[in-house]
Amino acid sequence: MSNLSISNVSKLFSTTLAVDDFSLDVADGELVCLLGPSGSGKSTLLRMVGGFEMPSEGSIRIDGEEVVHLPPEERPTGMVFQSHALWTHMNVFNNLAFGLKLRRLPKAQIREKVEAVLELVGLGGYGTRGVTQLSGGQQQRVALARSLVLEPKILLLDEPFASLDQHLRERLREEVRDIQQRLKITTLFVTHGQDEALSMADRIVVMRDGKTEQIDRPDIVYREPRTPFVAGFIGTMNLIEGVVQNGVFSKAGYSTPVPVADGPAVLAIRPEALELTVAGENAQGHVHRVTDYGTHGLVDLVLLDGTRLKAMVSHPDLFATGQGVSLAPKAIAAYRDNVLIHRVALGKETAALRQLVDA
Amino acid sequence: MTARPVSWVQPSRRLTGLLLVAVPVLLFAWMTIWPILSGLTTALTPQQADGSRPLSFDNFVTFFSDPYSLANLGITLWTCLITLGLLLVICIPLALYLRFAQGRLATYVQTMAMFPMFVPSIILAFAFIRVLGPNGMADLLLNAVGLPKIRSPYLTPWGPVIGLVWDNIPLTVLILVSGLGAVSNQAVEAARDVGAKPLALFWHIILPRMWTSVAVVVSFTMLGLFASFTLPYVLGPASPEMMGPFMQRTFRDLRNPEMALTQATITMVFCIAFGLFYVRAVARNRGN
Ligand SMILES: Nc1ncnc2c1ncn2[C@@H]1O[C@H](COP(=O)(O)OP(=O)(O)O)[C@@H](O)[C@H]1O
Ligand SMILES: [Mg+2]
Repeated sequence: MSNLSISNVSKLFSTTLAVDDFSLDVADGELVCLLGPSGSGKSTLLRMVGGFEMPSEGSIRIDGEEVVHLPPEERPTGMVFQSHALWTHMNVFNNLAFGLKLRRLPKAQIREKVEAVLELVGLGGYGTRGVTQLSGGQQQRVALARSLVLEPKILLLDEPFASLDQHLRERLREEVRDIQQRLKITTLFVTHGQDEALSMADRIVVMRDGKTEQIDRPDIVYREPRTPFVAGFIGTMNLIEGVVQNGVFSKAGYSTPVPVADGPAVLAIRPEALELTVAGENAQGHVHRVTDYGTHGLVDLVLLDGTRLKAMVSHPDLFATGQGVSLAPKAIAAYRDNVLIHRVALGKETAALRQLVDA
Repeated sequence: MTARPVSWVQPSRRLTGLLLVAVPVLLFAWMTIWPILSGLTTALTPQQADGSRPLSFDNFVTFFSDPYSLANLGITLWTCLITLGLLLVICIPLALYLRFAQGRLATYVQTMAMFPMFVPSIILAFAFIRVLGPNGMADLLLNAVGLPKIRSPYLTPWGPVIGLVWDNIPLTVLILVSGLGAVSNQAVEAARDVGAKPLALFWHIILPRMWTSVAVVVSFTMLGLFASFTLPYVLGPASPEMMGPFMQRTFRDLRNPEMALTQATITMVFCIAFGLFYVRAVARNRGN
């Protein structure tokens, strides 16, 4: 039963502003993903919550209590690091028991708690193993268990699966999500992988250069990105830079009504929202390559000025390289100066297609 | 690629290889093994009045029944142990600081810690006398503020201890810092995260990873200290004296090479013991 409240936090490393006036409230039992490219300040933010970095400004409260001036050992947070954080001179049991021993719990109780948590992460009976004898995935499970055994109010994970292979990553992701929901533990999860964020998070915070670009539910972040950066960072997105004149956006032979003031604009269209029609004489572009994935096809096309776009089609055999096509987008969004200025759905986007993009 | 049988190597190349290996082996035999054997032989075959040299432990019996020789061995061991203890007490915190602190101050401290390595012992000895000797800088400063003189450690057993500690700080710090490299930042942060305060962190997380480097420090410095000469000779008391000056005096002043070789053999036995300790520590480290 804990909530985390980060308000107006900044962190300045000599000359680098790693986190810039960041605010976020994480509700009790919620899992929030910090998503952003490398260097966007995700780790720095997480480390400030864990107490490993001192914010230059702002406040961090857990259940309403200010924690900014507490060292990590006094904070009710538990952190899972990317890797190399287990104590190799202790076996699995002792890695988990260390924190409990520091809290002077009776031996029997320590044993009971450790075994229960090992069971929870699927490592029952592994207590006597040396940590170097474990696989990468098992080591990260131990690291997670080591934090969970202390029942922290806030669980912090910093790209915990980054060093694992794709397959294992997907499995652990589900396991962590299951455990998190079973324990209803308030969690802040750092990742630079959009699929990780989309599949795990209750809410996603998209970060860029230490600032928030958007905070929303995964489906909203995906469907209604507020900035072209978010649009381009999550999922595949066609971004077309063009000009609006008299309510019409145009770019190299392609034009569509966009009822905004005249000026430059960026048009964003998901591949699954971009329908193509075969065209002859007045084609807006031509097919560069067709890839057939069996369940669907992906058409790479080139506009008259060389702009590359992707479109997802259900019958790839209808298209061939060099063929002329016209664009018929079902949903478009327009951005100007990094702000959404127009969004219109011209058709319905199905959930099934969305999943295809993630896969 | 499959491994090539050794016999495929052409005979001339094999010869070259053997010659290349032979040079250091022969040098080692000539400069190390032979002197050891000849010294040992001399020490074990004392010359009798009639000029004959029968095998006997007389020289060693003489050494171990002579109170003065034993006192010298005692003061050597005492100096080594005290110096080693002080080195660890000074260098472990220094190494921890250098490993975990960041910023400019750490760089300065590192430079300071390494500095003694570049100062020859003899210069160090005279600097010591100028600062801590009778009417040295310390005395002058105390005098200036109206305080009594210090009891100078010069020519007492503490003289060599202070000099040797100063002289050995760089190597000790280097070994300890490199040993601390085995402790990852994340392992330390994880320990703090589960609630380890600095002392618990040091005791349970850092120290267990330091034992090997501490063992290396113990053996290395003991080897160096046991046979040290310049600092004990210049700064130490005339009697009892450490094994280094003792051997030199027995050899040069008393013109008793046989006894000097006996003392050297005994010194060597101690050094071999520390050497074995080192080998064991390193082997154990390889093991895990
Ligand atoms: N200890 C530090 N000292 C100086 N700069 C740092 C430090 N930690 C992070 N930075 C800088 O802060 C920025 C954000 O880093 P980080 O939080 O690690 O990003 P992310 O985890 O999103 O990849 C980067 O530009 C990085 O170089
Ligand atoms: Mg990071």
